[in-house]
Amino acid sequence: MPFMAKPIEFKAGTLTAMSAVLREVDNVRLADALQVMLGGMGEFFAGEPTIIDISQAKSLPDRVDWSGLQSLLRRYGLQPVALRGAPEHLHDAARRAGLAVLGDEAAKLKAATTVHPVAAPVAEVMAEPAVGSTGAAPAPADSLPPSVGTMVVDRTIRSGQQIYAKGADLVILGAVSNGAEVIADGSIHCYGPLRGRAIAGAAGNRQARIFTTNFGPELISVAGVFRTFEKGIPAAIAGKPTQAQLRGEDDKAALVLDPLKLD
Amino acid sequence: MTTRIIVVTSGKGGVGKTTTSASFASGLALRGFKTAVIDFDVGLRNLDLIMGCERRVVYDFVNVIQGEANLHQALIKDKHCENLFVLPASQTRDKDALSEEGVEKVLKELEHMGFDYVICDSPAGIEHGAIMALTFADEALIVTNPEVSSIRDSDRILGILQSKSRRAKEGREAVKEHLVVTRYSARRVEEGEMLSYKDVQELLRVPLLGVIPESETVLQASNSGAPVIHTKESEAAEAYQDVVSRFLGEEREMRFVTYEKPGLLKRIFGGA
Repeated sequence: MPFMAKPIEFKAGTLTAMSAVLREVDNVRLADALQVMLGGMGEFFAGEPTIIDISQAKSLPDRVDWSGLQSLLRRYGLQPVALRGAPEHLHDAARRAGLAVLGDEAAKLKAATTVHPVAAPVAEVMAEPAVGSTGAAPAPADSLPPSVGTMVVDRTIRSGQQIYAKGADLVILGAVSNGAEVIADGSIHCYGPLRGRAIAGAAGNRQARIFTTNFGPELISVAGVFRTFEKGIPAAIAGKPTQAQLRGEDDKAALVLDPLKLD
Repeated sequence: MTTRIIVVTSGKGGVGKTTTSASFASGLALRGFKTAVIDFDVGLRNLDLIMGCERRVVYDFVNVIQGEANLHQALIKDKHCENLFVLPASQTRDKDALSEEGVEKVLKELEHMGFDYVICDSPAGIEHGAIMALTFADEALIVTNPEVSSIRDSDRILGILQSKSRRAKEGREAVKEHLVVTRYSARRVEEGEMLSYKDVQELLRVPLLGVIPESETVLQASNSGAPVIHTKESEAAEAYQDVVSRFLGEEREMRFVTYEKPGLLKRIFGGA
């Protein structure tokens, strides 16, 4: 007998999603905050699945306008799929609004270690959306996400400018000025003086690295572990070719800076 | 030749934008180019003072934009050079009076009148007035003092130039950037108190058009209402002449950037 494909199959899978950690559930105030944060830039995100996390909300009303909240997030290109950290009495309305309600296991996944509004996504289990808690283990954060390529910027990034290579490595052929910010979900390669802020592994990739031919940043970060240079940059690497990478486990992880030999 | 629009901008205030606008515009006019210089600092106008035409302002930029006067009525002919015209800012309006369509209309009209260069003297900051001054620019003079806050603000305005100018928005060839370092003291650089022009250029990565030495003649010129480029035997004037020459494609060695300790004779008889 020839193999007959079943019209439907169920498979467990993992999904990387954004966490929108709300400290308010008042849609008007959230709209204001998003406006300030993203400068009214509609479609700032690109349709990422998003988990609404209200475990840190200061006070929760009896009712929440879930559909209003969802359309607010969609306006910025976020696709709300689930809710977590919500007390019982809000569950039914959230499910009716099409949100999966995640249980405590998921809520415990990670306290957001946000350095940047776009830098706090968390690996999330979403085997059966709309059915509630799955209880499955989270995907290991160390697994490499599939690369979607490289973003190349052929110019200097000036103070006040921000570049985000979503799901990609970022190559800059020029300087990153003081007061500029470059962000990549993968690694950052800067062929010029790196003087601003560089945030690699913004979606949690701990293997991401930062490379530059001239090291002098205000801040560097890999997978949320960041380092500033208040006391100056070590003389061995200041202004020199350098790479930064994350070493050590979880709480003890630190950014290690090594000179690069370029010959 | 089509009209070239040049914005003189800096982000930071008090670095010498208006001084540079006045001398640069005068320098171009002295070389025979028909030049207009527009004060975009609505509400805090200064250019008319530096050009010495403040008593002849009847109509201004905003009047023209709002159709209360025509451009011919508002343009003031400079008293020092033949080919130079000043379009003063309004002192009584605010910067929102500058609409993008209005500014574009005025610039188009200047082009029809056969101007070779239009110099847009930007206000400080990165708000509406500064954006309007750079929106239509073909080239930009970035005026920077050799100190870190000025450099950072210049960097910021360079980024804005890259994103907000018409050329950037329409995907045309980028605005051509030139660096002008002003209020430069070779002595203080020598003594390690000031960044050198090479440091400034290294930080901003923009081609250097010139270095203007800090000079008392700049202040005297401002007070007397004659752009400093007209002052005889002034280092600042000569440095501005060099800026104009380099802008027009001539080779000029960088002057007034090295400090020579005064010799005995000079100390006895006094320097010029």
